[in-house]
Amino acid sequence: MSTLDPTTDPTRRPFSGRRVRLGDLILQAVAGAAAVGAIVLLGLIGYKVVQGAKLSLSTFGLGFISHVGWDPVHLRYAAGSLLFGTAVTSLGALVLATPLALAIALFLSELAPAGIRGPATALIETLAAIPSVVIGLWGIFVLGPLLQGHVDPALHSVLGFIPLFGPAQYASNIFTAIVVLTIMILPIIASISRELFLGVPAELKEAALGLGATRWEMVRGVILPYTRSGVAAAMILGLGRALGEAIAVAQVIGAFDNGFGWNIFNTGDTIAAKIAVQFLNVGSPSELSALFYLALILLVFSLVVNFAAQLIVRRLAHRQGLAT
Amino acid sequence: MPANGKLVRITLAFAAVAAVAVTATGVASARQANTSISGAGSTFVAPLVSAWINPVANQLHINMSYNAIGSGGGIAAIQGRTVDFGASDAPLTPSQFAGCVVGGVHCLQIPWALAGTAVIYHLNGSGLPVHLKLTGAVLAGIYLGKITYWDNKAIKAINKGVKIPHTPIVVVHRSDGSGTTYNFTDYLSHVSATWKSRVGTGTAVSWPTGEGEAHSSGVAAAVVSTNGAIGYADVDYALVNHLHYAAMQNRSGKYVVPTLATIKAASNLDTKPKVDGSLSIVDPPNEGNNYVNAYPISTYTYIIVPQKTAKAAALKKLIGWAITKGQAYGKSILFVPIVPKIVTFDQGQLAKISN
Repeated sequence: MSTLDPTTDPTRRPFSGRRVRLGDLILQAVAGAAAVGAIVLLGLIGYKVVQGAKLSLSTFGLGFISHVGWDPVHLRYAAGSLLFGTAVTSLGALVLATPLALAIALFLSELAPAGIRGPATALIETLAAIPSVVIGLWGIFVLGPLLQGHVDPALHSVLGFIPLFGPAQYASNIFTAIVVLTIMILPIIASISRELFLGVPAELKEAALGLGATRWEMVRGVILPYTRSGVAAAMILGLGRALGEAIAVAQVIGAFDNGFGWNIFNTGDTIAAKIAVQFLNVGSPSELSALFYLALILLVFSLVVNFAAQLIVRRLAHRQGLAT
Repeated sequence: MPANGKLVRITLAFAAVAAVAVTATGVASARQANTSISGAGSTFVAPLVSAWINPVANQLHINMSYNAIGSGGGIAAIQGRTVDFGASDAPLTPSQFAGCVVGGVHCLQIPWALAGTAVIYHLNGSGLPVHLKLTGAVLAGIYLGKITYWDNKAIKAINKGVKIPHTPIVVVHRSDGSGTTYNFTDYLSHVSATWKSRVGTGTAVSWPTGEGEAHSSGVAAAVVSTNGAIGYADVDYALVNHLHYAAMQNRSGKYVVPTLATIKAASNLDTKPKVDGSLSIVDPPNEGNNYVNAYPISTYTYIIVPQKTAKAAALKKLIGWAITKGQAYGKSILFVPIVPKIVTFDQGQLAKISN
């Protein structure tokens, strides 16, 4: 290994030695500052949320998480049904979106004729670009009435024996919120999965086909296992978006904070939607503090989900690494 | 060269004169330019404030901007002094007044417009009247979740001879904090002891039943799309969107719909604002002929300003105009001109504003 001394190397320009070091220094400083800045910002946000929630933390304690009911008149706040609503809507959206997204990704990567692939991919990714407010507006004026008029009663009459599909009355309910969230997280999972499927080595796919596997067996046996950890990461990304989606959900969920129920055609509420809708209109410091407490819960929830995601992805990648 | 040098000097001289002239006119026009006043708050009063923007700019040379983010948002904004005035339909609570004190300067609450809340509904059926009749007790029963079908005995008894279909009632209310909610729940608290103790009055309450929608537009959308839905919105909203609204029974026994006359009749109930500027005109009592035509869900709406502000002169001009000449702009959108007694009180409040 030979290094050329910058001060004597004839191939370098005069004074370049000093400039190179200064450039490096600036790069390190700016990049380092940006990274540190991001971490500091995270810390500041966390600190502000905890500070704002202090009043509620001392008034309600951990009971806030399990109790139910949001009453600004009697100053009694609790997050129980909000947490439940957040979990149900996010998981419901994930359950609906994942198979659809995988199907779309498979179509775009394996099955579509070459001419369609480009435009179809672009269009599906455009779905992700629609602002939440617009989807919320469409949800309340188009989707809600559509589901209320045709889908909810049909589901109830066919599957009504399952408590999940109870009587349907409202245009704004948990099911509408789930459908809206599904539409929002579908493009994320679909586009990441598509990239992953395109990255599966051709030899593996052709080997499976050469052994006599059908298309579906090749997908099931080669593509899906190979991209397992990446698809899991995409799902977590979608889940993260569903957890935090406030505006679109607030428009279509019906704002019911007084209980748990298994009927998805009932109204409900999520933490993000509650904060978005109430934040500008707090009537008292205790209500503001309760909203900060909600924000704290959502922050912790998201961090836990992210952490779990990294564990899952690492575990799946590790297993796959051993297998190949 | 001397010729060029002379040309250059003349050009420079012209440029200098032109620059001075432009600056002078710029300064002069700045002196004549409009003052800007920014406000935020109630969506209830937003149609009236919008109607004022052009006349205020032309007649008073004030550029007014208004952000209809809801009464609570308006209160928060004026507390933080991020706007020049706030607008709220719900009168400030003592703690909100306390929160409005910045640097020792208190806020004043001034009633500046008067309107009503309509009970909107959607019911498909033949032979139904334009305005279904409802009483306060029945409305409270509906919103408490006790009356669940439109052909309930109580509703049929009030609307004799009307064939009401067996449609389930779908209750719709606001999910965001709202002065309209305050007015509506204030009325329900007056007509139902159960409501008063169980739910109470507020810009946001714990609703026993129903679906919550964001903003009046959300409530209207839900009512329009659901057969059997009932909700509430400011009267102007119901008119503009061609929504059916109920005839409410007042304490004198008459069934009234919100009109300029019936809201004005209700405003006669309280013409002496409290020290904090608030008035309560919901559910006027049965006192002979006094409130026979009163619409029971009427409300004043307030502007909130700091007592000391750099824009005192402009604010006084604006509010002074709004409570007098400005009231005429409200008639077509069902804002009743406020009565002289209130105008006098308001002018007294305005006199307290200073630099």
